[in-house]
Amino acid sequence: MIALVLAAMLPVLYSDAGPQTAPALRELGIRRVAVPASSLKKWQGVDGISAEAADPERAVKLITPSVNYRAYDATATQAPWINSNGWRYLRNPGARFFVEAPGPAAALAAAEANLFGGDTLVHTDSAGLKPLGEMLAFLRTLGEDKLPPLVNIGFVDDRTPVSGERLNMMIVRNLLVGPVAAPDPHLDLNVAVGDKSYPEAAWHNPDLLEHVVRGNLTDDKRLLRVFGTDVVIGRLTGDADHVRVHLLNYAGGRRSVQGVRIRVLGSWPHQTAAVAGVPDAQLMDCAVDAVATEFTIPELKTYAVIDLSR
Amino acid sequence: MDRREFLQLVSASPLLATETQASLPVYHVVTPFAPEPGAGMPGAYRGQVARVHAASCIDEKTDAVDREVVRRMLSSGMRALTGEKSERDAWARFIAPKDVVGIKVNSSGAPNMMSMPELVAGIVENVIGVGVPPENIWIYERMGDQMRMIHYDRFVPAKVNVWTAEHSRSSILGYEPRVYVDVDFFGEDDTRSCLVRLVSEKLTKIINVPNMKEHQAAGVTGCLKNISYGNFSNVARSHRLQKTNTYSFIGTLAAVEPVRSRTVLNIMDGLRGVWHAGPFSMDRRFRFYPKQIMFGSDPVAMDRLLIDVIEAKRRAEGAPSIFDRSPEHLQSAYSRDPMKNAFIREPGHVQYAAGLGLGEYDIARIKVEAIEL
Repeated sequence: MIALVLAAMLPVLYSDAGPQTAPALRELGIRRVAVPASSLKKWQGVDGISAEAADPERAVKLITPSVNYRAYDATATQAPWINSNGWRYLRNPGARFFVEAPGPAAALAAAEANLFGGDTLVHTDSAGLKPLGEMLAFLRTLGEDKLPPLVNIGFVDDRTPVSGERLNMMIVRNLLVGPVAAPDPHLDLNVAVGDKSYPEAAWHNPDLLEHVVRGNLTDDKRLLRVFGTDVVIGRLTGDADHVRVHLLNYAGGRRSVQGVRIRVLGSWPHQTAAVAGVPDAQLMDCAVDAVATEFTIPELKTYAVIDLSR
Repeated sequence: MDRREFLQLVSASPLLATETQASLPVYHVVTPFAPEPGAGMPGAYRGQVARVHAASCIDEKTDAVDREVVRRMLSSGMRALTGEKSERDAWARFIAPKDVVGIKVNSSGAPNMMSMPELVAGIVENVIGVGVPPENIWIYERMGDQMRMIHYDRFVPAKVNVWTAEHSRSSILGYEPRVYVDVDFFGEDDTRSCLVRLVSEKLTKIINVPNMKEHQAAGVTGCLKNISYGNFSNVARSHRLQKTNTYSFIGTLAAVEPVRSRTVLNIMDGLRGVWHAGPFSMDRRFRFYPKQIMFGSDPVAMDRLLIDVIEAKRRAEGAPSIFDRSPEHLQSAYSRDPMKNAFIREPGHVQYAAGLGLGEYDIARIKVEAIEL
């Protein structure tokens, strides 16, 4: 296990509208905007909203986070396909990102940025402003997550497109992976492209590679397991005394997940839940033993953060 | 009870081990419940089955059930199984007034095929007759959307509960996280199948009420399939493409405590059945009318007889045996052609369950008391 440090900051609304929209944004709890440099002057001095210049063309482009409820083409599976940007975030630490996220997807995009610790410009439509404002308000209640990410697997990334998909498959299947410059002996497992100990076919098939990696790691060593859903991606941050579990429902805004069972390696007798859209959320069926901690989140609308401590 | 965890690696039946054990999945059974000695499957009537046939129990044209005939079938069957003279004494062999009784119905073919409400109502009457208050009776199933089409509530006293684990599809809140089978079939990430919470938290006895059906994956779906796949979450993952793991998964689930100890009686609804494309019944051509009910505490013996019922009907229809594994009979999707099937069926699951001690598979050792009304 190793801690990989990523900078974390709240996502920001990218607005190409003028400051006349400021009252509506304030009403929705949006306190910060990024705007084209040409508009910055007009936004400066607007009461209650801070503005900064940003250029989406210079940002890493993301896809709209979502779930596609169909079996994907590579293999026959009943699991829906998750459109996640996790691999783009992990591959580009310190970058600025841009995502087009209309409607409820704006909240998902903001939560995804928080999940992976990305500095993200969220561009949305009028229907997306309210869910975005609500998600930003929720993220502010969480405070800054200063704990480093926890991963099982180091991936020596050659930055090819196919390795992006290799990372993606591991992330959407909830293998905790992080890019590393070279194999790290402190990790449970390192995966270097072309490693001869892997079947040759695995290097041509990211789906197969994920299965082999998971088999090599073993489920018993996985720091995080997610049960009861195919549409939730989790990440961990933590240190010796605390772990923070981040969970994002990629179907959020359309479908709540009724019950998510989580297993975190380690004995964590104290648990506190913050669940977006669910005031005073309580965990169910908590079980702690010497090996692992388990609990159920009764309803996951979009995003949840569970703090665990000794 | 203190929280105890029984972790076991379930191995194949010695009888079947030679060819198949190497390819069987590895099952990790986790439960805090210990077996109750002498209770549950296969029960006091191992290798014994009462079978009651009544030509007038159902109208083949309208599917209307004669409730009075079903009552008489229930009475005859239970008395024949137990040797008791009175119905009450027969039912009291299995149920006590203090019990909280679950009636595990099958609704997977609803609204065209399910445990018939008239039969379920008759069972409820008898359980109440033993002294169990209606509020301590739970008619239950996994899928709320299927159960809502049947309306069991219209056939039973108002205080009898009708309950489903998944009021909304795929919710895990109706399942017990402490009791599960962990197994990786095809690399799926969610490797747990958890027990219906009602079974672990409320029920002291279960009456299992399956139908007589062919099953595209399991070969047949009778007592064992209904009490296993019908009591655990996340089981559809056991099939992919033409491969199904029903061979070993059904028995493994059925043997999990407290399912095994609490399932005391099986009443197989054979008023009508499905001989192809089960467990659903979308095509009326594949329905048939055995017009019988089987009774027993031994689910393996009953399912062994069910295999013969389904095989006989398929032979009569010119369809391949459920034991057929020929590639030329496989088709990738649901088939309206009785020569084709989506999976390589695994009717061997019944014999596998016998190897786990759930009952008697050897037809020569199964005693059938047949009654004609």
